[in-house]
Amino acid sequence: MITGNGKILRAYGLEVSGCSLPAEQVGGDFFEFISCDERTLFAVIGDVMGKGFHAARLMETIRHMLRECIRINPHPLEVVRRLNKVGGDELRKCRAFATLCLLCYDKVTGRLSCVNAGHHPPLLLVNGKVKVARCRGVALGLLEDYLGSGVEEFFLADGDAVVLYTDGLVEAYGPDEQRYGQERLKEIVRLQNGADADRMRQSILSDLETFTRGFSQKDDVTLVVMKVAGKGGERGGD
Amino acid sequence: MEIRVRQKKGMVILEVEGELDFSNVEQLQQEIQRRTEEVVEIDLKGLRFIDSSGVGMLLSQVRHMYKQGRTLRIVRIPELIREDLEVIGFFRVLEVLENPNA
Repeated sequence: MITGNGKILRAYGLEVSGCSLPAEQVGGDFFEFISCDERTLFAVIGDVMGKGFHAARLMETIRHMLRECIRINPHPLEVVRRLNKVGGDELRKCRAFATLCLLCYDKVTGRLSCVNAGHHPPLLLVNGKVKVARCRGVALGLLEDYLGSGVEEFFLADGDAVVLYTDGLVEAYGPDEQRYGQERLKEIVRLQNGADADRMRQSILSDLETFTRGFSQKDDVTLVVMKVAGKGGERGGD
Repeated sequence: MEIRVRQKKGMVILEVEGELDFSNVEQLQQEIQRRTEEVVEIDLKGLRFIDSSGVGMLLSQVRHMYKQGRTLRIVRIPELIREDLEVIGFFRVLEVLENPNA
C-alpha cells in the first residue's frame, strides 16, 4: 500500500505521480493507492469537508474504512456503497460529508472501472484526446444509500493517462477573479500527450501557478496522474 | 459575508452576499436557527464563493427543518456555484428529502 504526499509509483504497468498541496490550514484532501491482488490496483482521491484537525481526523477514519471495505468486497460499486454505509454514519454524526472518486485498474485487461461519490470526474487522455468520465454520484454521508450512476468502464492502452484532482485545482482563482476551470485543465492535459506521469503532474501545477500568479488560494490542491506504461511500468517502484 | 433579512408574508428571506466558508458558516447557521417562520428562503444571488463547510451546513439545516415539518428553500444560486453543487450531488439530496420515496 502506498500513501502520503508527493509520491511516484511504478507498478501494475502504470506510472503514477501524485501530490497534495495544502492551502492555509490542514484540509481533508487525500489520495491513496491500494493493492488488491497481483493484477488489480485501486486509486482513490477524496476530500473530506472542512478544515483543520477535525477534517484531517475524519479523513484518516474514512481512509481506514476504505481499506477495510476493499478487503471485504473489492467490487468498486460495493466498496463505495459499503463505505457510504459505515463512513456515512460517522460523517453524519459530525455533520460532514466527503467526496470520493474510486478507480480500479486491471493490468491484464487494461480495464479501468470508475465509481464516483460527488467528486470531480477524472479526465482521460486516450489516443491524444481528452475525455471526461461521466460517472456521477452523491457525496458520502449525505444520504443513507449511495445514489450514483454505477460503474463506468474504460479500456486503456500504453500511453493513455488518467488525471484525478480535487476541487481546489479547478476552483482556484487568479487575480482577475477568473477560475482555473476544467476547460483549461483539459487543454493542458491534452498538450502533455507523450509526457511521463510526473512531468504531466508538474506541468499542470506549473500552469496553475502561472494562472493564479501567486494569488492566495482557499482550498487544498490534490492532483494524481496515472499513465499506462506497459512493460516499462512493471512492479518495482516504491 | 453579509446577510440581509427580508420579511414576507409567512416567510423570511435571508439574502447572502460574499463568501460563505469555514470561517463564517456559524453566522448563517445561527441566523437560520433563530428564525421561527414556516418557510425560510436563502437567496444566494450575491454569493461569490461557498466551500464544503457552507454546503454541509445548508444541507443539514434543510434536513433539520424538514424533520420539523418546515421548509428551507435555497434559491437564485449563481451558475458557477450551481455547477459545484451539482458535482457533489446537492440537488439529488434535496430531491430525496422532498420526496422520501424517490
